[in-house]
Amino acid sequence: MDDFTWGLVQIVGVHTILGLSAYVILLTGQVSMAQAGFVAIGAYVAGMLTVLAEWHIIPSMITGGLAAAVLACIVGFPALRVRGLMLVVATIAFGEFVRLFWFNFDYRIAKGDIIVGPEGGEGFKQIRFFPENGWTTQDVAAFIWIVAAIILATLWWMDRSRAGKVLRAVGEDEMAAQSVGINLTVVKVSAFTAGGFIAGIAGALYAHYTTHIEHLNFDILMATFAIAYPILGGLANVWGTLFAAIFIQVIVIEVLRDLGDVRNLMFGALIILVMNFLPRGLFSAQVVRKLREWTGLGKTSDA
Amino acid sequence: MKRQIMLVAAGALAFTGTQSAAVSADREVHVAGFGAKSGVVRSFGVNTEAVMRAAAEKINKEGGIKLGDGTKGKVVVTFYDDRCKAEEGISVVRRIASGKAVVAIGPTCSNVAEPLFGVLQKKAGDASDTGLQFPIFTDTAIKGGLAKISEWAFRNVPNESQMYQSLFKWVKKTNPGFKSVFGGVEEDFAHSRFTWYQVMEKRAAEAGFEVKGRVKWLLNDTNFTTQVRQMKKAKADVISISSHPFTLCGVLKEMKRQRVKYKMLIGLTSSSSMETLRGCSRQAAGIIIPTSYAPVTPAAKEAAAGAAKYNGSADLHSAAAWENMFILKSVIEKTGVMAKADTVQADRRKIRDGLAALKSTGGLIGGIQRTKEGEAVKPYVYVHAQGKEWKILHDPRK
Repeated sequence: MDDFTWGLVQIVGVHTILGLSAYVILLTGQVSMAQAGFVAIGAYVAGMLTVLAEWHIIPSMITGGLAAAVLACIVGFPALRVRGLMLVVATIAFGEFVRLFWFNFDYRIAKGDIIVGPEGGEGFKQIRFFPENGWTTQDVAAFIWIVAAIILATLWWMDRSRAGKVLRAVGEDEMAAQSVGINLTVVKVSAFTAGGFIAGIAGALYAHYTTHIEHLNFDILMATFAIAYPILGGLANVWGTLFAAIFIQVIVIEVLRDLGDVRNLMFGALIILVMNFLPRGLFSAQVVRKLREWTGLGKTSDA
Repeated sequence: MKRQIMLVAAGALAFTGTQSAAVSADREVHVAGFGAKSGVVRSFGVNTEAVMRAAAEKINKEGGIKLGDGTKGKVVVTFYDDRCKAEEGISVVRRIASGKAVVAIGPTCSNVAEPLFGVLQKKAGDASDTGLQFPIFTDTAIKGGLAKISEWAFRNVPNESQMYQSLFKWVKKTNPGFKSVFGGVEEDFAHSRFTWYQVMEKRAAEAGFEVKGRVKWLLNDTNFTTQVRQMKKAKADVISISSHPFTLCGVLKEMKRQRVKYKMLIGLTSSSSMETLRGCSRQAAGIIIPTSYAPVTPAAKEAAAGAAKYNGSADLHSAAAWENMFILKSVIEKTGVMAKADTVQADRRKIRDGLAALKSTGGLIGGIQRTKEGEAVKPYVYVHAQGKEWKILHDPRK
């Protein structure tokens, strides 16, 4: 594989993690457009830790994830008092608040003969942990996919555990879930917090493979991509999100690059088509069941 | 019989001549271009691609590029759309670097250039730095001081700081009665923001103007009522707007509607393009912009005609791609690039070293000086909008 393919593997990995951050929240029936905000928090916090404090990428990434998770938890309480469209509006507002915070955030220090750190609207440059520490494109891709695999495995395991069933119960019918003693607020805020943590991890990785971040990277388009992956792939299991991230990034973005603006139209058309004809996504429980029957891979999951 | 022999001999000579002047069929010098060809700033990429293809056509017609072993190679241009997105720009350059291209021209957006240059190796030859080792020669992304990020990054963009310093001094000298400046800035676009805060505002104050304030808007804004009202209230002599054609036209139309009075209007370098004249030539009438391109020399006119042939237009940004192509031709010939499948990485290094060694180059409206940071110091003129044309108002060199 050449450098370009490894680079693409990195992008797909980060976008898979981004999609999974929205997947957890979507399981509870909530649509969060705040994911780009959480990604921004993870990106800036982790970037500052590796560049200004000279930490290693792993603790920086985890700290970035935790910072995003804490904020997601705090925001989760008031935001989850509203539902449906109002939640969408509230989370968009939060995402914009975070973006504009970084737009106005200026904290730079002298490091040798250069001044580094976030510089408001000018962005945060020289987040070069990977190249400066001898990580090749393959190393970075492998690292991203180890992180993605851990998150995929954790969510896959969670899906099959009681926690997953609780999340899905809330997502399917809140009243019924509440009537059997499930605390809706705890479940929803927990999903929001987990989604924030995963988005923060995605942000930390994003900042380090692009080496430069600015507020415009974390706009409504990124939030749309985050929820588009699980919507396209379906919520039956985590593999749908993975499939959608590969499909969008490899086919729509990369293979169809020469189509120019048509790519943007195709992305929108794809979402509309799937929502109309496959409202439960490309990998709905029915599709997964049929696939298992055809391939003879055993019984269906209870998803 | 004698006549027939003469004819055959003439034919053979003509054939030999054609062969020597023609491009070697099996040697190709791959030059990649990349920039925004979709989205609101798509005209940048469309124009750069048109200019690159026109320049390549001219180079190939003139016999191609002389390679290290004396043969001639044909220039092959490929162009990729990065949608003005950092992540896609990096991916596009990785794709280019994984292929046969020996150098790339681009990107068109500063917000792509900045992360992209960060992905490149910082110091050429530093084995401890695993950054990408691929030469980039930027034509459009103009935000100040970016080439110093990597020794593999070079730019042929004008020095805005110098241009606006000269412009404001000239305005003060020719209009001593003008006392104040009021600004308008497209706040969320890296280039326009940088140019207002780091260039226009500072250079205007240095020239002795009182900067009465500034109003802000965003790239996707379509309503400028409040900002223009503030602008009107300031009653400044000079209004200096740092924004791209899309919002510049919106602001100018609103200024006309609110009957804002001013004595002089100054615009951002990037707005000295056909997009501004297509969008609002009437409202932009008289706006003064410093630019490093105007069709004032035969070469500049040829670049404009070439771009038009490929459905683009030569302007401040895209015309630099023409210069880049000819600078690269000269560097490739001087450094002995081989353009063979097994010399791609060595060729890239030769081009990088060749570009780094340049002290001066030719340009469409005059000679260009090169700095050790990989930047250019280009000649410039002041143009103003008149009808559907940009006309030269003043040439500071004269």
